[in-house]
Amino acid sequence: MRQVFRKIPVYTGDVSGVCSALYELGGMVVMHDPSGCNSTYNTHDEIRWYDQDSLIFISGLNEMEAIMGSDDDLIRDIVEAAGIYRPKFIAIANSPIPYVTGMDFEAISRLVEKETGIPTFYITTNGMHDYTCGAGLAFLHLADRFVKAPAEIPGSKTSEDREIPSADKKIPSADKGAGSGLRCNILGMTPLDFACRTTISSLHARLEQNGMEIISCWAMDDTLADIEKSASADVNLVLASSGFHAAHYMYDKYGIPFVAGIPAKGAENIYFDAVRKAVKRGENRFPFRERLFGFKMPLEEPEPEKPVVCLIGEPVIMTSLAASLQLQTGAVTHVYGATEDADIFLGEKDAPLSGEEELETALRKAAEEAAGGVKVVADPYYRDVLPPGCSLIPLPHLAFSGRIHLKDIPDLIHTDICKCL
Amino acid sequence: MVKIAFYGKGGIGKTTTVSNLSIALAQRGLRVLQVGCDPKADSTRLLRTGSEKTVDQDLDIASLVRRMREGGYLTVMDHIRSRKPFTAQEIVKTGAAGVLCAEAGGPLPGQGCAGRAVITALEKMDEIGVYDLFRPDVVLYDVLGDVVCGGFAMPMRRGYADHVFIVTSGESMSIYAAANIGLALQGFSGRGYARMSGIILNRREAADEENRVSALAKELGTQVVGRLSRSPLVLRAEEEGKCLLQAFPESEMAEEYRRLADVIAAMTVSE
Repeated sequence: MRQVFRKIPVYTGDVSGVCSALYELGGMVVMHDPSGCNSTYNTHDEIRWYDQDSLIFISGLNEMEAIMGSDDDLIRDIVEAAGIYRPKFIAIANSPIPYVTGMDFEAISRLVEKETGIPTFYITTNGMHDYTCGAGLAFLHLADRFVKAPAEIPGSKTSEDREIPSADKKIPSADKGAGSGLRCNILGMTPLDFACRTTISSLHARLEQNGMEIISCWAMDDTLADIEKSASADVNLVLASSGFHAAHYMYDKYGIPFVAGIPAKGAENIYFDAVRKAVKRGENRFPFRERLFGFKMPLEEPEPEKPVVCLIGEPVIMTSLAASLQLQTGAVTHVYGATEDADIFLGEKDAPLSGEEELETALRKAAEEAAGGVKVVADPYYRDVLPPGCSLIPLPHLAFSGRIHLKDIPDLIHTDICKCL
Repeated sequence: MVKIAFYGKGGIGKTTTVSNLSIALAQRGLRVLQVGCDPKADSTRLLRTGSEKTVDQDLDIASLVRRMREGGYLTVMDHIRSRKPFTAQEIVKTGAAGVLCAEAGGPLPGQGCAGRAVITALEKMDEIGVYDLFRPDVVLYDVLGDVVCGGFAMPMRRGYADHVFIVTSGESMSIYAAANIGLALQGFSGRGYARMSGIILNRREAADEENRVSALAKELGTQVVGRLSRSPLVLRAEEEGKCLLQAFPESEMAEEYRRLADVIAAMTVSE
């Protein structure tokens, strides 16, 4: 059966993605939903919930309100809460019931903004998409509402006078700081994808070691004030697919190119080379999509004795880890992008995950062709769908299995994926 | 591009009025798109006569019912229901006087949620690029009756209609519906919705009709922008499967529609 998941769960929903993306920025997130309790969105998926405050409200929509509309009640409650907490912004997110009744949240947002004077925007979630979509939309709204034009940022370079390393200008090699002098934003950073708490400091260290200056991080360990300065960056680093829309927006509006991938151990040189080329040429890069490095052209036939590794999960992270494995071990890698719109980040050897049966079929075929069996890097929940000949290398993912394996989630920047094999 | 929504009590003559206005505006050289926002999908049926088989051209009732069962023109919701991809060209048909015709459609009678279907259909039309592809000068939304729920308010939401006109007679129930629509629109102030641009009196020869509708307009803070006579020619044209402007273009009634079209164009298109 296509597009059916019987044994494994789905990834957390778009509404959780919104909460996660905006958690630390001092805004107020309003979910118009019957839940009445935050567990659905936060306590299950949100590892910051118990030790870091965030203004996340659930409206407690009831049956009669769904039938009657009651827009005014929702507006009154939001305005009242905003008056008490004075958030920096208000994000209103949709959920399945008001989505079906077709509430006009655009209009409600305008009314709330008019009454409170606080920037208010509507995020078009409906509870039926992946967290990557919700977080992606939340980041897109931040880019649209808060990122200031370079001319408004003191000391910033405009897209016209942005210093781009030229071909005849000597660029330091990767180990000496390939990104020397380059200013960057980190996009797509949420605990849903990067749950290990040391990841953010490892990432900062890796970027700084390579001479990069971090303007903003969307959105962990940073502030809305820093995000406002994002247009002064030379490049956007899309660490996960949730950062893609905001990156594209800033490319279209400010000419800031982006690079999709993480600087995973063992693939740093290729990563920072892509960053340098993105800035130099002013074009977006997906350095780990095709992963042709290490192969002779034309592409050689797969050799049966080569190890085969399949990686399943968020596509930006998994293609990056695949590159690291491929470069360090010579393994043949295939990525199954498990979240929506994964194909943007996938190469010819990869595929979006369309259902359990399709995955089992693909893995079975890979196992039959590979002499040494297939190693599958994925969340432990995938164990139940692995066919004979496949062995699991557990890589827990908060957006998939929640807190169950939280302590085993590695720092994806610091950890060498090869050591997990 | 200007977008105009027409509301009014069911059966008051909105579709007849809108279809004739579409032809009149098209004959003035404007590119017109008429969008039916009713699950029955019958707004553009007379306009499409001649360009394709329409459901109700048979006066024989048995044939009419049979053909309704079989279905005819595919609406936006019919395409969505089919779960197959479709293009803007597949839902927009060219009708009389070159008027572009589309129908939102909706669920089968007695099922689902017609209001939500209007939202879905109008969003889909945006998504597949109907407005960008056909680039109409004027879009006329012919909306089912009253603003009965959020779905039927969709055509007046921001990004859709800029203007709302209410069609009414002087009959009490029609006035009541018109007042309800007008008050709903006032209640939406601050939302960036369409503005109330006027009332069209479609005469039914009710007692004190003129004064009653004028009083309503005053109460709602708007004006009566046009007055249409009750003419037997309208029905005769329909019996021929045509709009009046096609069947009796030289008639006084046709002139009334043209005058109304000019007034509306002056208020909206030439803004």
